Amino acid sequence: MFHDQRESTAMAQSPAIYETAFIVNAGLDDPQIDAVIEKVKESIAKHGGSVLDINKWGRKRFTYPIRKKNNGFYVIAEFTGPSDLVAKLERHYQLDENILRYLTIRLDKHALKARAQKATADAAAQAAVPEPAPAA
Amino acid sequence: MRPPLRRNSDSGPRRGRGRGRNQQQRKKRTCRFCDAKEISIDYKNEKRLSRTVSEQGRIIPRRITGTCAKHQRQLTVAIKRARHLALLPFVADAVS
Repeated sequence: MFHDQRESTAMAQSPAIYETAFIVNAGLDDPQIDAVIEKVKESIAKHGGSVLDINKWGRKRFTYPIRKKNNGFYVIAEFTGPSDLVAKLERHYQLDENILRYLTIRLDKHALKARAQKATADAAAQAAVPEPAPAA
Repeated sequence: MRPPLRRNSDSGPRRGRGRGRNQQQRKKRTCRFCDAKEISIDYKNEKRLSRTVSEQGRIIPRRITGTCAKHQRQLTVAIKRARHLALLPFVADAVS
């Protein structure tokens, strides 16, 4: 209860960041998979959200078959937007028969902390890379 | 009379035998997520999660691993999310 209250006040300060993972039918060709991903992006944008980051894991083997398939194309996206966006996005997932599985979560404080750490680490790595280049 | 409350009481096969005798010698397990503060529990990190489930894919209880309650709660959620995305099995045959 207490945790919920704290999280909701935290949400009031900064908009919630959501993370959605979905698995696209790996039987499709790469352009077709890109089209499916593009449609998801459009769906997020159409309902008032904005995609922060999109990460394509590529084809991966399942640990158990899903719809009689043994592998799928994993995509992870981070986005922000109004809270009713999640329901609309999941409706889109259900209607797209090439999306085998999906999972949408709101990043909690631990995940946000890990994300911030990763961002600073990436920024540091980015800063470190161009530096030796002029020297060399 | 009730036996004294045993913390970190787990030596699997020895359980129930020689109670109290080994209590002093037993090494105290510590939560490895508390020890290494930088590791975050994430459903996407299947390699790390696979170490927290048994060969059959069952979640290893914290009385065995020594994970603290807070982190075990986060772990179970992460494992269940990973299972949903077929990153971890619900059931894995030991013979496979």
